[in-house]
Amino acid sequence: MASREFIYEKFADYYSNSSLNVPPPTLMAQREFGFFLLKERAMVRHKSFMGIKDLRRFLSDTVPSDVYHSCAYYENPSFEMDKKGWLGADLVFDIDADHIPTSCNKIHDEWTCGKCGFAGKGITPETCPVCGGVKFDTKTWPCELCLNSAKEETVKLVDMLEKDFGFASKEIRVFFSGHRGYHVQVEAEAVRTLDAMARKEVVDYVSGLGLALLEEQAPEKPVAGKRRRRGSSVFSLHDFGWNKRLKAGMQKFILNATRDDLRTVGLRSYALLQNREAVLSRCLEEGRWNSVKGVSVETWRRIARHVKELESAKIDTVVTTDLHRLIRMNGTLHGKTGLLKKEFPAERLTSFDPFVEAVAFKGGTAKVSISDAPEFRLSGKVFGPYKNEVVELPMAAAVLLVCKGRAEVAEK
Amino acid sequence: MQMETVIFTENDLAKYPFLKDTAEYMKKLGLKIEELENPEMAPILDRAQERVKEAILSLGVGKKRENHVEIPSFPVAIMLAIATKNSFIKKRYALAEAKQAFSDMQFENNERIMAIAADFDWNIALNRDLTVPLEFALSFIDYLRNTTHLRDKNWKLVNRLLANGKVYLNKHDVARLLQEEVQHRIEKKLEAKELPNFPEKITVMAEHLLELAREKIGKQEMEGFPKVVSQSAFPPCIVALYEAASKGRHLSHVGRFTLTAFLVNIGMPPEKVTELFKSFSDYNERLTRYQIEHIAGERGSRTQYTSPQCSTLQTHAVCTGSDALCRRVHHPLTYYRIKLRQRTNESPKK
Repeated sequence: MASREFIYEKFADYYSNSSLNVPPPTLMAQREFGFFLLKERAMVRHKSFMGIKDLRRFLSDTVPSDVYHSCAYYENPSFEMDKKGWLGADLVFDIDADHIPTSCNKIHDEWTCGKCGFAGKGITPETCPVCGGVKFDTKTWPCELCLNSAKEETVKLVDMLEKDFGFASKEIRVFFSGHRGYHVQVEAEAVRTLDAMARKEVVDYVSGLGLALLEEQAPEKPVAGKRRRRGSSVFSLHDFGWNKRLKAGMQKFILNATRDDLRTVGLRSYALLQNREAVLSRCLEEGRWNSVKGVSVETWRRIARHVKELESAKIDTVVTTDLHRLIRMNGTLHGKTGLLKKEFPAERLTSFDPFVEAVAFKGGTAKVSISDAPEFRLSGKVFGPYKNEVVELPMAAAVLLVCKGRAEVAEK
Repeated sequence: MQMETVIFTENDLAKYPFLKDTAEYMKKLGLKIEELENPEMAPILDRAQERVKEAILSLGVGKKRENHVEIPSFPVAIMLAIATKNSFIKKRYALAEAKQAFSDMQFENNERIMAIAADFDWNIALNRDLTVPLEFALSFIDYLRNTTHLRDKNWKLVNRLLANGKVYLNKHDVARLLQEEVQHRIEKKLEAKELPNFPEKITVMAEHLLELAREKIGKQEMEGFPKVVSQSAFPPCIVALYEAASKGRHLSHVGRFTLTAFLVNIGMPPEKVTELFKSFSDYNERLTRYQIEHIAGERGSRTQYTSPQCSTLQTHAVCTGSDALCRRVHHPLTYYRIKLRQRTNESPKK
């Protein structure tokens, strides 16, 4: 109980600070807002605000643990769903470590069977190994490896949005979500009226779903005047879009491939490795895919499949296709971490450090009794690992552990 | 834009009467709806009737006549199709006109194609990049608006050359996408909410066309689903979802929606569907019933939801991989329908 009050108090302090700067979302009067209220422990939706001042007052009055707004623009954002009058929606992408296989294997996550209480670490199983139960309580952790994987996916996504979809970098807004991933929002006017099917095609493009791999490269129907019948395995990849990504990816693969790599891709012949130069120039450049002995079109298909996996961006598909989605608001706290959803320029993706830049609570300390926490880094300091101990920590670290359910407040 | 304005001639309007300039032409002509009964209008009326009739019979629009008959026959044909108040006729007529436009457009030069595209406010340019052997570059927004319901995987954006927001296309493909746009525009025209008082002749013609359509539809009668739900005809994705649900295993939101909508669509009563979700650990009877009744169209917006098609299930990783029949269909419900039919045909007759 004390812990919940502690969080309420900290969040309340944060939102009532008059020098706080919560940036208003674009066209905020046309958006629906939703909140998870800390005291009432309930979701409130269908709110609307004319300006950022009204919203600020609401935040400090009600103290939500989480603040969301719609990606959609409505005529009447506070009406019930069927009567809102949908005008359009931003194109949004959610990249969450939960959806990406990561090298940490989520070893920092814990699960407890809701039925028999059996507990373990890592990826939550489908059924409890002891009692076969299917409901689990999980405790996740925003680890550096997880967030780095999410960042890599975001880099690929942003690259496609810029080069393939042609959005200007100022139209692509990138955010740290405040927990285990990144949000990318495109607010260009042209995308607002895309319907769910069109957004699904964008999702498929980004994730490489349905990509014809060296079978029927669709667009190259013979052009009038150039009616030359080409063999089915002779065609070159263009320097655009997925063609370019495949080509560059395959080039990289061939230059660096070891026998192990070939086996991973499912190839048993090593002919590819004996004459990398010829393979690169004849096959990849000239597009004569079966011109090197021992390297068949099927070989290329396997490599292409592998490259597609590497080059595609792993996004949460349902978020992008949902025309009414609520998404966390920029500049507000995440109830599971006490970190901020934080915008930063796309160019800074590789250097952005969420464990420094998204920290909201900068002063004070708190004494917490920690059950179990892995090593973590916050504002440049390294903490833990902790196991059943009472520690006095900087406020942000204490809030993080309490929000994550890894610690209780020791004394007030 | 770089458009050197192409001015549409009367010949153009005869070929593409759906262009905005036709309205201007008709205004000058000053034709009134009551005048359609006049004997000198007979050729126009006759041609209009032929347009719709050919559409119903063969998805064509018949042979072109002189411009002064051909152009006005189009708006009259629209009126005729509206007068039938029949959605099959309207759909078919729009499609027939669009197909005709497609076959004509393939013989046009690039500038004319650009001018027609401009009539639909497309963001399109002639491709100046010589490394790409495709003549046009179309904004991906316009591209998607006209391709998302085309099934061939060649139309998927992921299989196109997309650079800088532009999809590179040849003339054939641009014409094909303009066909979609034409069909859409004509369907919009046919949506007319308030109907005028049609002259006697029009009403009579509409009756004839309706009769013709009834004969045609009779042949491709729509089949409903039988009352009994047949689990053995479920497609693999639904089998997987169904099993997961009955074992109380976790289902994604899309998975739950797909299963519920599918079961409701094939005629399972909502109470029985609710029953299925009972084994869920986070089961909440009131909420579940509410959601199911919502999907069944008994609540909220009153629209009955249809379960998602195959491509959507692939996007959200609900598709479990396909069997031989899957590869022939695009929708789980079609799979079910075909499988049912196969099984009734196979079962020994007594």
